[in-house]
Order: sequence, then C-alpha cells, then structure tokens
Amino acid sequence: MRHLTAVFLLVLAALPDRAGVDRALDAHILPGFARFAVAAGALGEAARADCRASTLHAPFHAAFDAWMAVGDIRLGPSETGALSVAFWPDPRGFTRRALAGLIAARDPVARDPATFATVSIAARGLFALEMLIHDPEFARYDQGDYSCTLARAITADLAAQAQALERGWREEFAPLLRNAGSPGNATFLTPAEAMRALYTQVIASLEFTAGQRLGRPLGSFERPRPRLAEAWRSGRSLRNALLASESAHALATALADTPLPRSDAALARVREAAAAITDPAFQDITDPVARLRLEILQQAVRALKSAIEAEIGSRLGLTAGFNAQDGD
Amino acid sequence: MTTRRAFLASLAAIGAAAAPPLSWAAAGSPTHLAAARDIDGRFALYGIEAGGAVTFRVDLPARGHAGAAHPDRAEAIVFARRPGRFALVLDCARGRVLQRLAPPPGRHFNGHGTFAADGALLFTSEQVSETSEGRVGVWDVAAGYRRAGEFSTHGIGPHELCLMPDGATLVVANGGIATDPADRRKLNIDSMRPNLAYLGLTGRLEERVELDDALHRNSIRHLAVRGDGLVAFAMQWQGAPEEAPPLLGLHRRGAPPLLAEPPLPELLAMRGYAGSVAFAAGGEEVAITSPRGGRLQRFAPDGTFLGALARADICGLAAGASGLLATDGLGGVIAIAGGKARPLARHGAAWDNHLVPLPACRPPRA
Repeated sequence: MRHLTAVFLLVLAALPDRAGVDRALDAHILPGFARFAVAAGALGEAARADCRASTLHAPFHAAFDAWMAVGDIRLGPSETGALSVAFWPDPRGFTRRALAGLIAARDPVARDPATFATVSIAARGLFALEMLIHDPEFARYDQGDYSCTLARAITADLAAQAQALERGWREEFAPLLRNAGSPGNATFLTPAEAMRALYTQVIASLEFTAGQRLGRPLGSFERPRPRLAEAWRSGRSLRNALLASESAHALATALADTPLPRSDAALARVREAAAAITDPAFQDITDPVARLRLEILQQAVRALKSAIEAEIGSRLGLTAGFNAQDGD
Repeated sequence: MTTRRAFLASLAAIGAAAAPPLSWAAAGSPTHLAAARDIDGRFALYGIEAGGAVTFRVDLPARGHAGAAHPDRAEAIVFARRPGRFALVLDCARGRVLQRLAPPPGRHFNGHGTFAADGALLFTSEQVSETSEGRVGVWDVAAGYRRAGEFSTHGIGPHELCLMPDGATLVVANGGIATDPADRRKLNIDSMRPNLAYLGLTGRLEERVELDDALHRNSIRHLAVRGDGLVAFAMQWQGAPEEAPPLLGLHRRGAPPLLAEPPLPELLAMRGYAGSVAFAAGGEEVAITSPRGGRLQRFAPDGTFLGALARADICGLAAGASGLLATDGLGGVIAIAGGKARPLARHGAAWDNHLVPLPACRPPRA
C-alpha cells in the first residue's frame, strides 16, 4: 500500500511537467512551426511569381517574423535544422562568399530546387536571402538574371525546410516530448527531463539575444561593431531582439502552471527599452547615447532571463548541466 | 578456501596491514566505473553493471573526474578534478578508501591515469604546476602505490593517457593548454600547440603527431584505443564555436591523422566541445559526446559520419556489452547499439564526465 501511494505521488508530481510540456507544444511550438511553414510557403510563391528583390521584401519580413517565434529553439528537428534556416552569426562571412561563388559560376544548382538543399548552409535560408535582396552588391538584379533564379531557389528550399521542420516536430519530436519516461524513449527518461529541455530553450534564447544579437554589435565601448548586428541589412536587428524576447516569454508562460508577474513586468521593460531605440538596424551605436540605449535593452533582456529563472527555474529545481558547465 | 599462508602472502604483496585485495566479482562484477554527484550533493564513485544497475558505491570527499581500474583487484583510482591535488585508491569490494595519493611537490594530477597490463604499475597524467609541462607519474602498485618515477609527456597540459594494445606503449593527449596553477586560467591560447604522443613505458618518445597550424587551438584531450592500435582522439576547440572545427581525429602509428568531418550543422551542434570518446564494443564505430550540445555523434573508423543522438548533458562514454554505453548529468545510463539508443536506468546521481570501462582503456576488438 505504501508502495502504491509512493507511485501515485510520483505520478502526481509528474503531472505539472506533462501539462507544461503539452501546453508549450500546443500553444506555442507546434502552431509556431505551422505559421512559419505557411509564411515560408507564401514567400516561395511570391518569388515564383516575381523574383525581383523589391517584391520579396514584404514576404521576406513576414517569414522572418514567423521564424522568430520558434527560431531559437534548438531541440529535435531544429537542433541541426535551424542552422540552414538562419545561419547566423557568420563571423567569417561564409554567406557572402557562398552567394558570390554561386553567382560568379552561375552554378546550375540554383535551377533545381531539389539539389539546392545540398549547397553550403551559408547560402541557404533567411540570411542568404536577406543578403541577396537587401545588400547593394547583390540586390540590383532583374528578371531573367541568375540572381533571380537564385532567389527562387533559396525561397523554394526555405519553404521545403519549413515544411520538414513542421512535420518533424509534429510527427516525431512532439510525441517524444509528450511520452517522456516511456520505455524506449532514450531522449527523455522522465517528464521532468522534457520540461527541463524546453525550459533550457527559453534561457538559451534570452542568453543568445543578450550576448549575441545585442552583444556582438555592442562590442566594446572603444570599438562598437554595428556591422555585426543580426539582420542589419534588412533593418530587422531590433525587431529580432524584441520578437525573440517575446517568444521566450511566451514559451515560459506556456510551460508554467502559475502566473509569472515578475517575468511579465520584465518583458514590459524590454518593450520600453526597445521603444527608446531609434535605429532598428543598430547602425547608430557609434553615438554614445544610442549605444547606451542598446545597453539598456541588453540589461532588460538579462533581467527578463533572471525573472524567468527565479519564477520557473528555481521552483522546478532546474540548474545548468553538471557536465556542460564543467569543461575538461 | 584461503589458507593462512596465502592470506599472509597477499598481505605482504600489498605491503600493508590491510585486508587482502578482492577481485571485481566481490564488487558485484561491475563493467564500468563512474564518478557522480548524488542528489543530496555528496560525491561518490559507482560501479555499474552491463544492465545499467549500480553494483557498488564509495563516498568521495570531493568531485571526481575520471578513474582507472586495476586489471584484477577490485581497486580503482579516482582522480580529483583539475588542478588535482589528490587521487584516491578505493577498495570497491569493501567500499572504502585504501589510500590517498598526492602528486610530488610542484606537480598536479590532470584527471586521468591507467594501469599497466599486469597491474604492477599505475601511470598518471600530471603537469609541472608552474609551467604546465606534461609528466607521466609512475607508481609501484605492489609497494603500496609508492612513487616510482616520472617522465615527460613531450607536451603541455596532458589530459587523458591510455595503454596501447601492445602493453608496451602509452598514448598521451597533450592538450597544449598552459594553465595558471591556482585557478585553471588558460594562459597560452594564442600559441598553444597540442599533440598526440606515443611513449615507451620508461618514457622514450616513439612518435608525436601534431595537427595543421589552422587547428592549433584544437586541444587534444581524450582518447580511445581499438585492439588493432587505431587511436581515436577527441578535441575541445579554444576558438569561437561557430568556426566549427572537427572534434574527432583518428590515428594509426606511422600514418597521418585523419579528421572526421560531419556535416556543418552537426559540427555546430557540438558547440566546439567533445567531452569523451569511445570505440563501440565491436570496434565497428567510434563516438564522441558533447555535454554542451547534448549530443552524441557516431562515426565509422574511416571518419564517415554515421549519425547523432540527442541527450541532455551527455558526457560519459565507453564500449558497452555490445555497442556503446553512455551516462549523463541527469542520471541516465543509455545503451547505443546499431544507431539505436535504449534507456537502461536513471539514477539519483549526476554522472560525471567519464565512464571508465573495466579494465581501463581495454581496447575493443579490431
């Protein structure tokens, strides 16, 4: 009898984890990938109709917006699949080199959407398209030019990737997360592990936004690096930072079974700090006042992370990995 | 049936008035050893059997890193984390610490060691604290783990060392990183020069392998040896992770090293860090783990990428009964065979970096 009670208590303890994982999948992740697949499909359609740069700007932004809801998740199909959708940061300029190489060679790979998936991931996805349709070196192409064909190939490949991610999450990885602890599930041995995996994505996303999206352009006070901002060519740097923070907060909210007043307030401060920034591409941060505003946004993102850690992480007893933190 | 004479002889053999050494069967016939932190925060060394169950547990005074298992006696050496001020000789059958080994003055242990094939000598990976120059410490087991000498590893900051299948050669991963003796701070990232060194058991340099200049920041840290002498080495990149260098190398004496290159997204998913390397039991594949990427990658012995599996905080890795056995910081023990992962157990302990097969570094079949 005591044994049965213990088993029952264990099941009860696992309930919030299972419910949180279900909510995160049903309210945030799966709809997010479905919306991204629709937006990427629309972008592909637009390019088929007219592949010139200016006509692709609007559907490009719509697809990137949709991506930001789920783009920082690096689990399951996204673990390796996200990189060919969003290859950034790119400190060695792989994307520029890869695009220039394809164009100089008029590489026939762009004429076949199926084989385009085999090119370097630096020449695929949102950042390759961003450079192709926003960078003055590339964007002045016309209908019939090789670059127009390349835009069609990148967008068709992106649509296919978005579909594959949506399907992979819905058919394979979501069931793996929901069935944590079932025999044969070697990825998640308990529901708490599935919860932990999703929670880790929230924290990693906010760390990425503060450290990379904002930290890279901030550089040092002596040497700000505006050209290292994410998606500055399309003027999305601020928008990406804000959307990523909102998505992290939304995923955290779905995971939690209680209200998160501190995290809600912290997100409001992120929005305020973002509203104070004038250049959405962060190209003005050589000016000390603009730089300070970006630093304030960075602090606000870090404060959001701390609030979520306090409200969810500590309560679940979740801390960083034992070995991942060690390093030897 | 132990006679009085045999009993006294065995006492004399270990040169101490301790209980006679017992075989591994007396420790529950574990197949692997692993250090861990228990849920209550205590540290311990565990014996694990092929099915994933725990066969013994011995308290440790501090966090362990890796260990070495005596080939016959149920004795294990557990090394402290770097900078290692001590190593413990454990009686795994009786669950107690037999002896505490301290490095000589001015040296510290670097987390790994291995026994000679007959168990008569213990070799420990060490460095000169002041300069990080590598040393192999030699310990006489029969004389109660008396320090018997040392020789150079021919590199800076050695980490893992293994006995080659010939029983007459050691292979040492000279990580190349000079560290501050007090706080492990890395001092020479711009000029580091890791190597793989093959040494005779008295220290003669037989062969030394370096990678290309472009990879001089790729610290060679962990090793696995196959029965035919093929050495797998795992690396930790000291540059930006997005530069995504290969993390697994394969080397055969006298030949140039071969670097295993998985597709770029796979490389990036490892976050520039491999924590353990092992050949599968049949020697037909080799794998590395990244706790930072929560990922295990499998390769053919010719470096061809075979596949990956995801598991949070995975690090400990060794040949299993068949295939591979892996442990992680969430307490999981996972068997991997034919590319399929199967959970064996989940314990209330965060498994530490390494899973040590018995006896340590025993080469799987070729």
